[in-house]
Amino acid sequence: MSKMLAVLKREYLAGVRKKMFIIMTIGFPIFMGAVFYVPVMMMSRGLGEKHVVVIDGTGSLRSGFEKSESSKIGDERAPMQIEYIDAKAQLDIDTFARPYLARLNKEKKEKLDAVLIIPSKVLDLPDTPARFYSTSATDIITEATLRAMATKGLHVYRLGLHGIEGAEMEKILAPANVKAVQLSRTGEEKQGGGSNFLVGILLTGLLMVPSFVYGIEIMRGIIQEKNDRVVEVIVSSMTARQFLTGKILGNALTGLTQVAVWVVMASLATGYFAAGAALGGENILRFLRPSTFAYFILFFLLAYFTYVCIYAIAGAVCNSEKEAQQMIAPITMLMMSPWFFVAVLITNPDSSLAVGFSLAPVFGPMTMFLRTLVADPPLWHIVLTVLVSIATITLFFRVTAKIFRVGILSYGKRPTIPELVRWLKVA
Amino acid sequence: MEILSVRNIVKTFDKVRAVDGVSFSVHRGTITGLLGRNGAGKTTTIRMITGIFYPDSGSIDWAGDGVTDFRDRVGYLPEERGLYKQMNVIELLLFLAEIKGVRGGEVKKRIDRWMERFELTDKKQAKVEELSKGNQQKVQLIGTLLHEPELIILDEPQSGLDPVNMVLVRELLIDLRNEGKTILLSTHMMAEAEMMADHIILIDRGRVVLDGRLDEVRRAEGNNTVKIEFDGNGEFLRSLRGVEAANVKSNAAELDLAAGEDPQSVLEAAIGKLRVRHFSVGAPSLEQIFIKRVGTETLPEVA
Repeated sequence: MSKMLAVLKREYLAGVRKKMFIIMTIGFPIFMGAVFYVPVMMMSRGLGEKHVVVIDGTGSLRSGFEKSESSKIGDERAPMQIEYIDAKAQLDIDTFARPYLARLNKEKKEKLDAVLIIPSKVLDLPDTPARFYSTSATDIITEATLRAMATKGLHVYRLGLHGIEGAEMEKILAPANVKAVQLSRTGEEKQGGGSNFLVGILLTGLLMVPSFVYGIEIMRGIIQEKNDRVVEVIVSSMTARQFLTGKILGNALTGLTQVAVWVVMASLATGYFAAGAALGGENILRFLRPSTFAYFILFFLLAYFTYVCIYAIAGAVCNSEKEAQQMIAPITMLMMSPWFFVAVLITNPDSSLAVGFSLAPVFGPMTMFLRTLVADPPLWHIVLTVLVSIATITLFFRVTAKIFRVGILSYGKRPTIPELVRWLKVA
Repeated sequence: MEILSVRNIVKTFDKVRAVDGVSFSVHRGTITGLLGRNGAGKTTTIRMITGIFYPDSGSIDWAGDGVTDFRDRVGYLPEERGLYKQMNVIELLLFLAEIKGVRGGEVKKRIDRWMERFELTDKKQAKVEELSKGNQQKVQLIGTLLHEPELIILDEPQSGLDPVNMVLVRELLIDLRNEGKTILLSTHMMAEAEMMADHIILIDRGRVVLDGRLDEVRRAEGNNTVKIEFDGNGEFLRSLRGVEAANVKSNAAELDLAAGEDPQSVLEAAIGKLRVRHFSVGAPSLEQIFIKRVGTETLPEVA
């Protein structure tokens, strides 16, 4: 036990004194914060604002494209600067539009992001298509926003034909105001909506990244110890299992220290921003429950121990970092696979995909944390995830300790799978 | 009195039997030299004794009190030296002591004593990577001794040391032996082994080929070995009549003569062609015994 603690202490001190630790501790929250807030800032400061020209052949839809309280078409509205051109007097709207379309491919100041051409026939024949031109095939938000605006213009025009105007018109056109609320099993209410999505990604990132970073640290550490031949002295002094336990726990403690620093930083930041109104209109605290912190620590540890064992094996069987990274890259991709579905999982936290991932070994901790964050999974799901994870970790740890025992002293070429199986048997 | 008893241990890597039924005893208060060519099985044997490898078969027992886990009673200096390069010397030594189960003020005093003896006192706070190779070796040797082990196992302790440090280590090992410690020393430096070892075990191709007290071994090898030092080309000495084994260097030679052969005839032949500076007859050197027993070709590497 005391030998294991000696290794733990050494690993911890070596870990927190590394430059990497300091860079990660300070740099990572800044990076994640940037990921979180830069889009918000871009919206409010007009960075990335689109420049759009609307050529209206009817000359009657101007009101749809003008800014007014009631013209707000919902949250997903893209930031854009609209230049409205009344083209009622033009006989051939396509000829008239040609110079504008040419500007789609110009540079800088003259550049247009999109052009919407509304033919005059639209008023009489509602099926007549308006044409949306854009240089990017994926500009669906601009397209949807412009479509909604044109629709509103048409509604105003048609209502006008029936003599409806002013306040009465505003009243008719006022959109339904929907407020998203997340209702938990216990009846607790929490604001739902888009920001939960960002908070979910942010926290899941914070949960995952240290596991991979410290996994790689352990892997590098083991390779270093192999190359420096320190292992021989250590393994002649204690069992491979004591050594591995000390190593993993020491690095876990380093990771927890980092997470603790982050939590403190986050609390200070949130406190600061909450005091002076919410930043970007969002206050993180509205999305967090106290249980989130408990779940974070729990699933952080489960995820960490699961991944780290795999990295330790890679370190034990490889002789150079390069070799180990080649070996671990596909495995990392596999372990991270829930991350590739993160958008789907966050928006469908109770789908069978999410439930499946969250109850599966290896993927469980991360997916279940995500589910507890944005939904309210049944307790037995959570308990099952924890049990599956503990079983996985126990199994991984045993396998790792055995392979580690043989692997750390093999300096030759990397073992093949059948050789690894033999190691498992002999150790 | 036996301190360690190795019985018929076998270790196979892939299809090579690196250690093939080795048995020997280490006696308390002696320096035992484990000799052999590179690849003979010395390091594998030592790794089994230190618990790094498990033998495929056979047993390794601590004599006397029947303990099975004797890790903490052994101090081990591996052949491939290894230290945490980023740590500073004092922290590293405390760590090495701690993994052998000792800690606290007494260890710090021991560290100070050893650092002084090895003239490293001013290097206590230095990072290991800042030390010269020789000093790193000294630090590792200190780390091997801090928990005051009963049995000290050293795998090639003098390799890579300059002559001054080689003497320092030799004197240290003799001092430790005189204090009652037991030392198992693997080396391929026969001259060093000859100066230190009380007992030798010669291993070749995974088997013990010679085992006994150094003086007895030498006596058993006969008393008809000629040592000659000269100026000139001594190659012809190999083919003199009655020479059974010859180790000829640029200005010295050691020749084993067949029983009944008169050393005088060698001297006569030599005087005709060489300028002889020294001539003696006696027991063979350890190196000569070694060459006679195991030859001079190198072995393939297995582990």
